[in-house]
Amino acid sequence: MADNSSGAKKVSRRKFLVRGGMGTIGIVAIGTYIFRNSIRREILGTVNSLELPYTDNTDKPMVWFEVTSENNIVLHSPKMEMGQGTFTGIAQMAADELSVSMKQIQVIHAASSTGNVDSFATGGSTSISGLWQPLRELSAMLRMMLLKEASQKLNIDVDRLVIEDGVISGNGKSLTYAQVAEGVENWEVPDAPVLKSLKEYKYVGKPIARVDLDAKVFGDPIFGMDAQMPDMLYGAVVRPTKIGSTFVSADIAIAENMPGVVKIVIEEDFVGVVANSMLEAENAKNAINVTWESYKDLNTEAITKIITVGNGKSTIIQKNGDSLDEESDLITLEFRTPIGAHAQIEPNGVVASFDGDSAVIKISTQVVGITRKEVAKRLDLDTDKVNIVPTYLGGGFGRRLHTPHAIQATVMSKAVGKPVKYFFSRKEEFQHDMFRPPTHHVIKGILNPEGRLHGLEHEFVSGDVGNNSALIPNFLPPIIGADVGAIRGGFIQYSGIPNFRAVYWHVDLPFATSWWRSLGLLANTFAMESFMDEMALKANKNAVEFRLQQIADDAIGVRLKNVIKAAAEKANYSEEITNGRAMGFAASIDANTPCAQVAEVSIVDNEIIVHKVTVSLDPGLAVNPDQIRAQCEGCVIMGMSAVLYEQMFVENGELTPTIYGPYQMALMKNAPREIDVVLLQGKDTPGAVGEPPLGPIGAAIANAVRRLTGERLTELPLKVSKSMA
Amino acid sequence: MKIRPIYIFLILAVVGVVLVFANTPKISNYKTFDNQELAQQNPDESYEKMMDVLTHQRCMNCHPNDNIPKQGDDRHPHYFGMARGEDDKGFEATSCNTCHQSLNNSNSGVPGAPHWSLAPASMGWEGLSRAQIAERLLDKITNGNRSHNELIKHMTEDDLVLWAWEPGVDADGNQRTIPPVSKKEFKKAVENWFANGAIIPTK
Amino acid sequence: MEISLTINGMIKTVNVEDENTPLLWIVRDLLDLKGTKFGCGKAACGACTLHVDDEAVRSCSYPVKFAEGKKVTTIEGLGDRENPHPVQQAWIEEIVPQCGYCQPGFMMATAALLKKVPHPTDEDIDNNIINVCRCGTYYRMRKAIHKAAKLQAEMSTNESKEI
Repeated sequence: MADNSSGAKKVSRRKFLVRGGMGTIGIVAIGTYIFRNSIRREILGTVNSLELPYTDNTDKPMVWFEVTSENNIVLHSPKMEMGQGTFTGIAQMAADELSVSMKQIQVIHAASSTGNVDSFATGGSTSISGLWQPLRELSAMLRMMLLKEASQKLNIDVDRLVIEDGVISGNGKSLTYAQVAEGVENWEVPDAPVLKSLKEYKYVGKPIARVDLDAKVFGDPIFGMDAQMPDMLYGAVVRPTKIGSTFVSADIAIAENMPGVVKIVIEEDFVGVVANSMLEAENAKNAINVTWESYKDLNTEAITKIITVGNGKSTIIQKNGDSLDEESDLITLEFRTPIGAHAQIEPNGVVASFDGDSAVIKISTQVVGITRKEVAKRLDLDTDKVNIVPTYLGGGFGRRLHTPHAIQATVMSKAVGKPVKYFFSRKEEFQHDMFRPPTHHVIKGILNPEGRLHGLEHEFVSGDVGNNSALIPNFLPPIIGADVGAIRGGFIQYSGIPNFRAVYWHVDLPFATSWWRSLGLLANTFAMESFMDEMALKANKNAVEFRLQQIADDAIGVRLKNVIKAAAEKANYSEEITNGRAMGFAASIDANTPCAQVAEVSIVDNEIIVHKVTVSLDPGLAVNPDQIRAQCEGCVIMGMSAVLYEQMFVENGELTPTIYGPYQMALMKNAPREIDVVLLQGKDTPGAVGEPPLGPIGAAIANAVRRLTGERLTELPLKVSKSMA
Repeated sequence: MKIRPIYIFLILAVVGVVLVFANTPKISNYKTFDNQELAQQNPDESYEKMMDVLTHQRCMNCHPNDNIPKQGDDRHPHYFGMARGEDDKGFEATSCNTCHQSLNNSNSGVPGAPHWSLAPASMGWEGLSRAQIAERLLDKITNGNRSHNELIKHMTEDDLVLWAWEPGVDADGNQRTIPPVSKKEFKKAVENWFANGAIIPTK
Repeated sequence: MEISLTINGMIKTVNVEDENTPLLWIVRDLLDLKGTKFGCGKAACGACTLHVDDEAVRSCSYPVKFAEGKKVTTIEGLGDRENPHPVQQAWIEEIVPQCGYCQPGFMMATAALLKKVPHPTDEDIDNNIINVCRCGTYYRMRKAIHKAAKLQAEMSTNESKEI
């Protein structure tokens, strides 16, 4: 089977239980989706196209649905909503299989006490694709159980019953789901779910408005930052400003006596302040005089020196044909990308309560299961004694795959015997981000007499992305030799080239780097697709034609060709400069989703202006085309922000800047006035959406600049030389 | 204007003195000043002191010549594309007062003073020489039709002008730098320079 | 000290120890209106934008003492589900929000803009709407701002007809 997200895992060992009370009738599903494909992670060739299936890794009951007495369905989502539209997509899937209207579905974040905990994370653009099969199967099971029960209550054959909007009727009689479920002790569970056909779906495939739209437009308190608990106090944690600092001692004499301070908490690995208000905690924190040691006065140049191909350990991640002959007529280009910050607008934070026996933690996180495990470990509790209550995320982008602040807040709560709310300051967000690592790329190519690539090599170096994060088991990197995150997009996608090689170098950086939306894709595609355009120019060929000629006709190759053609056609791709504007082309494959983009660019007063971006994406079956478009638009703008403006520096051992503005990001005035999205469907199940469109944007802009000025920009953020404009 | 020839002579005479003392201004002895005392001061020294202030970034950042306010000691363009707007107070809905209030804010590090705004475009000083700044200052066409007395009042009493000596802390909580001449000295220098006819020294 | 202000049409008196406490925290923690967001605390991101006497203000940099006797409007008071403000209506029609965290600040800034400039040009939007959105919803926001201007004009036409 080509797509591991479909059909590979059937509902098995699955029973349904019913739980009553509080005017609601809870439907509880027991079951497990085993991560059958975990072994595939170890096969490097597939990492780039991997679509992770949904996994829960538990045998305990998991609450998926509640049928309320108002005949609505509450869907407990194990995937978090961080803007990517997952809640809307899964609501559509569940509504269709449950035969209820969209209005009847309410999606909430599953608290870990429901058992419905994702063992992996919300990330990797896997939520919709991973839940496509299991959630529809669960929904279908529930529908069939309700139908069976109704059949008994109404004494009418199942075949002669119809369902509309959660009402089962036949022979002029009808029962709501709520009426059907009421008082049922033992449910008859069908052997296997029977899914509806796609044609029967009313919502899947339609541009349904986001289910969280109203909450977000009317300012409802849905985010982690908005969470509270009775008698809550506020915490702050002292953090060093210099990279590599280790804690030696703290002078708390002044802070202790400051207004509002309840307690200074000194632990082995952190010093925290608990106070009556956030400002008081913050002020007291700033008054603590901490002695740190072992930091070095690093600067950006020192980091750049580390990030250089040839340093560290190398792994060949892809190889075909022969190595390139060094003495032949090679064309070599080098590319660099800087340290990037997540800069999500909601700071990281948490409200934690520990009552001496168990902990409750309200948090916006991408890792519910890991957070629960880590807090339980630190407080020496059973995981059952830690309830993670997730909230909406004010931006994720990979930043919330790390949640040590949940531990710190829980420890502070334990120390004061009251709930503690603790949020990062913006400066702490910038200095203690888990950054996108800087990268360096050396790319070599050689053309054959027909003007096609005879050989292509990509060697690149990066800091950690997946390594040293809780998501990747420590045993894995030594086995696979490469960082599964850093290599995203680093593969050669032009499979028609006879000789190619991709080599990954890993170095350790003195500060933490990790998952940043699309992982290695942004940097790798910028380098690779810039190089491809340069080779097309050398071959004196149209950049689109040049690409199409070097892609093999396998399944993904055909899909890649199709998005390339569609983008070029929709944008009317031309290599002429019209009214001072040039077009740039680039394409990428990420998580088995191909994407191509055309950027229309001009240069005014040395500034690169992006006027229009045409995006062509093949995400497979589009559960919600509008939200897929929104993700494409968002990726284009976040991507252009990263490639045109964003850059962290290291000065005197400190990561800087520490505030928006100095950390320049795209604003309204910078965003393209036009973003045209074309969606293709090259497979019949949903694929990755939230990250793949971040791939091409950097090279598409750089390639347009190359055509405008003749200058090949090889470093992010892209800056036009004064002499060129 | 009858004293002008005397000052031309004085200018020539004191250039050397100013150069000698430029780096070590003796300014600490002033207690109070009256007209008697003012008359005894060197108006060119006053002029240079006044200009040390006017050309300092705390003042210059809001006297741009490109309609873009500047920030910081490095005088970088104001972040987020803020500009003069129609009334020197930014744009229609996002104005200076969206962020800047009438007092410095020690929580946010956003500076503030009454009627926080850019100096009018006619009072753009960026890139000008001291003499050119002084010309703009004195010219009623560029200075908002202000007489000498009104200028003295503006320069020595206006809260926004005097903010330069109480500029508060930045976003990192660090004190902003202040002009190299004290507020008291500056006031004295302004009064003295005007009292002596507001003569722009020529080289 | 006691400070009286009108918050979303209701007169409230709050007791604060520090009169320089940012209005943001008074609104969020004392008045329990969480729609106004904390993003940076440095007046840089605009997530905390609300209206004081109909003017857009970044409340993280606005001491509560200045709000004495003034009219403060937050996203909760801009409009509600039954009676959405044209900006909120346009935001819904264009399906603007993604993560949604920055959106109240943007909507408040836009509402202030439409009050001053009922039919903003793209340049007006570029100049005045300078909050930060990380999800990159600017493209839809621009469309929604133009739509809101139309909705606002239609509403005022209808109102004048009723009179």
